[in-house]
Amino acid sequence: MGKIGLFYSFKSKKTAKIAGIIHNAFSGIDVQLVNVDEVHKEHFLEFDQMIFGVPTWFDGELPNYWDELLPALEEVDFTHKKIAVFGLGDQKGYAENFCDAIGIMATFFEDKGALIVGSVPLEGYNFERSKAVKDGQFRGLPLDQENQARLTHKRIEHWVELLTKEFS
Amino acid sequence: MKVLHDIPVHKIFTIKNTDKELLEKWLYLMTVGRIIDEKAPNYLKQAIGWSYHAPYAGHDGIQLAIGQVFNREYDHLFPYYRDMLTNISAGLTAEEIILNGISKAADVTSGGRHMSNHIGKPEWNIHNVSSATGNHTLHAVGVARAIKYYKGKGVAISSQGESSVSEGYVYEAINGASTEELPVIFVFQDNGYGISVPKKDQTANRKVANNFIGFKNLRVIHCNGKDVFDSMNAMTEAKNWSLENQQPCILQANCIRIHSHSNSDRHDLYRNEAELGYVLESDPLLKFKRMLTRYERLTKDEIHAIEERAKEEVKLAHRSAMASPDPDPATIYDFIIPDSYPASKYPEGLHDFVGEKKKLIEGINETLKAEFRLNPDTFIWGQDIANKEKGGIFNVSKGLQQEFGPARVFNGPIAEDFITGTANGMSRYDKKIRIVVEGAEFADYFWPAMEQYVEMTHEYWRTNGKFSPNVTIRLASGGYIGGGLYHSQTTEGTLATFPGIRIVYPSFADDAAGLLRTSLRSEGPTLFLEPKALYNSPAAATPIPDDFEIPFGKARIRREGTDLSLITYGNTTHLSLKAAERLARDGYNIEVMDIRSLIPLDKEAILGSVKKTGRVLVVHEDKVFGGFGGELAGIISEEAFEYLDAPVRRVGSAFTPVGFNRILEAAILINEEKIYAAALDLLKY
Repeated sequence: MGKIGLFYSFKSKKTAKIAGIIHNAFSGIDVQLVNVDEVHKEHFLEFDQMIFGVPTWFDGELPNYWDELLPALEEVDFTHKKIAVFGLGDQKGYAENFCDAIGIMATFFEDKGALIVGSVPLEGYNFERSKAVKDGQFRGLPLDQENQARLTHKRIEHWVELLTKEFS
Repeated sequence: MKVLHDIPVHKIFTIKNTDKELLEKWLYLMTVGRIIDEKAPNYLKQAIGWSYHAPYAGHDGIQLAIGQVFNREYDHLFPYYRDMLTNISAGLTAEEIILNGISKAADVTSGGRHMSNHIGKPEWNIHNVSSATGNHTLHAVGVARAIKYYKGKGVAISSQGESSVSEGYVYEAINGASTEELPVIFVFQDNGYGISVPKKDQTANRKVANNFIGFKNLRVIHCNGKDVFDSMNAMTEAKNWSLENQQPCILQANCIRIHSHSNSDRHDLYRNEAELGYVLESDPLLKFKRMLTRYERLTKDEIHAIEERAKEEVKLAHRSAMASPDPDPATIYDFIIPDSYPASKYPEGLHDFVGEKKKLIEGINETLKAEFRLNPDTFIWGQDIANKEKGGIFNVSKGLQQEFGPARVFNGPIAEDFITGTANGMSRYDKKIRIVVEGAEFADYFWPAMEQYVEMTHEYWRTNGKFSPNVTIRLASGGYIGGGLYHSQTTEGTLATFPGIRIVYPSFADDAAGLLRTSLRSEGPTLFLEPKALYNSPAAATPIPDDFEIPFGKARIRREGTDLSLITYGNTTHLSLKAAERLARDGYNIEVMDIRSLIPLDKEAILGSVKKTGRVLVVHEDKVFGGFGGELAGIISEEAFEYLDAPVRRVGSAFTPVGFNRILEAAILINEEKIYAAALDLLKY
């Protein structure tokens, strides 16, 4: 397995904290932390496996730092690159848009040729709608620190196990 | 079934492919808007004006997009009170915005008459809308009906906050647009709050547009209203789609409210620091500028130059607006209602035509048909108005649809506010249009339309004479049919309290025909009250000249007399005539005057009668307490006191609802006996 890029905003609080936990869970594997606030498209070319941290803002939007970055990646070819997405959301307060940002990111990079990995089952979540759902699965790892914080560590542990296999 | 809501939005505008000139223009407009948005509260602090300002900051993307997509030649735009940038983006200058804000005479929206921040420019089809937020959805639907009928090239665009979607009339409007398949775009600018009320307290769906996904023929689009490109793409998509498919569209734009609701609100009382912080971080203007520099579309120097140019425009606009004159208080009576059709063929509204008698219902029906033949831009709709041989609950509109077709004569839904509001809207399309609505099945069902009735009375004054709806509201009124509540009451006591509408209440067939013809040829709204108990009454039947027309404000003496004046209208004209006959047998010579027209009122004729007889009994079917007779008695007392030999008296119905059982109805409604007794009392005073 080559090196993995873990992209998230270093300015974020909850997402940065989760990124730290994910980083630690990949013990013995080279996971480099990349600050999305300062990233350029060239950084994406350095990795064949990438993990993106993306909370859902408002009623189903990307945070500014991702939203403003994506146009720069419009022409980048992500073929042969494996991408996993995790995101924070609130399935109770925003049940209609739970972790939409995961779905928006997955769709964008899939359209650019990437293979989206790290899908997880819907079991254990209670929400109404999510753009993250495709074919009966989440297209990444949704984490709900507002309502299911106790499950976060276990979910990350399983997800990292899954990614370790899928990135191989 | 085709799922319209899943159709992807075309991405026409991106940060990379949008022309630089266009980006510069957008930045300029957004900057001008933001400078004024932030400057507006200072006018209040300095006691200059702008006492109502609802800042738009946080809605920048969608408001820019609405204004850019709007085409003043073909489209009709209904912006709400927070739509300052929408107006700027649609072409209004900084000076025009400030003139509105500080309510100067030169304010293009209303000449300082309407509340600040209610910005429009009627001559560009940017309509001046009500403070009853969201009720312009009905007007947008109405004008879209005209766009479709006349095969116009535009769309109607209605804009509002997400909370005002809770209003019932918004649901009526969207239901109607869906049913009639009209080219109208409803933009919901969702900033999460209705003043301090979070949207979770408004409706169960966080995105209120999703409440409508079950409506047929309607597409729902969501966009990020904070993002210029997403908003431009969504708004362009909505317009193209509505134009091509001639169907309605809802566009819900996620926005943020960076500031308080208005200058009378303090958002720090209900929003925590974290929220206040993240809305600032999501400022759409800052995002747009970041994008411009990040993608090297504009340099910081170029942005700075645009900002300086914007500041200069606002500075000059401020100076000019401050020097502009205030409205003249002597003009307050200007533009209450447009001049009516002069009806000069029968200047007193009288005729001596001899011929076959026609019933009141025939008079109305035949006049409608004659005017519809004469004027191809006439329309009529209402509940139960046109289905095969049936034409209205009382068949007043019988045969109209067969002759003039379903595009001009059609049923409305059971929604009185929709019926009335879309009439107001449709008449905006062209001054030549004349609309008749049966406002309700029975007059007392009209109450749900009250807000649109009030709206109709405001339009001409509020727009400083730029718009008045050419609408005749027909209502089958009054009792004596054993109808009970909601089928027997008279409403003019309430409806006459609003300046800005003419009110007529004929009691004979010829007067009904003549007043209806004048209504249909006049500009501005007329409330046409029909005494339904007389529709088929032989007593109300008269010969009617084919071209009969009656000027508004002309009373008619139905019986000459010298001892007592019975001043009346509607059903009680006939009861008064009967009482007068009986009194004649007692040796009294009674005058019966049918005022016919409540607004304008023929004061001269009334006072003339009083001066002649010296005794007055005001008679009407409505309740004495709160009835229109109070006004008549007041005028007579004030202006003809010295001619009176007895106090002015009033008779009418009891201050109760009208009972269903005939015994109760008879006890409540005024009748010949009560008029006779009151008149005799007065004669003996």
